[in-house]
Amino acid sequence: MRSHFLNMVIFSALVSVFFAFLTQNDRRERLKVMTILFLSMVVLSLLIAYAMFPFPLNTAR
Amino acid sequence: MSSEGVTTPLISCFLAWLLPGAGHFYLGRRRRAAVFFAVVLATFLLGLLNEGRSYIADGQQPLTYLGTLANVATGPLEVLSRRATFHKLAYALPADENSREAQELLTAMRNKARVVTDEYGTTYLITAGLMNMLLILDAFDIAIGRKA
Repeated sequence: MRSHFLNMVIFSALVSVFFAFLTQNDRRERLKVMTILFLSMVVLSLLIAYAMFPFPLNTAR
Repeated sequence: MSSEGVTTPLISCFLAWLLPGAGHFYLGRRRRAAVFFAVVLATFLLGLLNEGRSYIADGQQPLTYLGTLANVATGPLEVLSRRATFHKLAYALPADENSREAQELLTAMRNKARVVTDEYGTTYLITAGLMNMLLILDAFDIAIGRKA
């Protein structure tokens, strides 16, 4: 599975579900925590990726 | 503390290490146990699928001890990823890095590191171990009554 985005989404989903079930007992609260965690991870990663876009890894090329 | 008060946390922690979610199952949290089992197993299998590598303790690189500990926390399942990485069960690099055994282990690790998805796979494997570590601690907290 070589897609960076797909890996990020799957990883975020797994971690969100894990922490929602670990920290919350109420069903609604779990869903809320799951959504917040998932969106935070995906959106923040995309924002950081966008912010890094002007800085290429290898400037010698 | 009664003998049951001591053994229940120990048994639940051991079961949690043995199989992700088993500690919670033992403590009566069946639904949670099923979710934890599925999530940790999926994370671990994605690690294998992405050709992640297990860490091996290297005296010259102290951080590898933490990586190895995180891998081992996954439980007996971890044997699969360790075998896939090193083709045998090796947990520490021999002190003499020029020995044949050390060279074989290093070569096996380098071969894995050449795979494009190795970083993803290794992260999945480490995450599965860290999740299970939290599950062991959570099972302990539930067993001693610190958490509902």
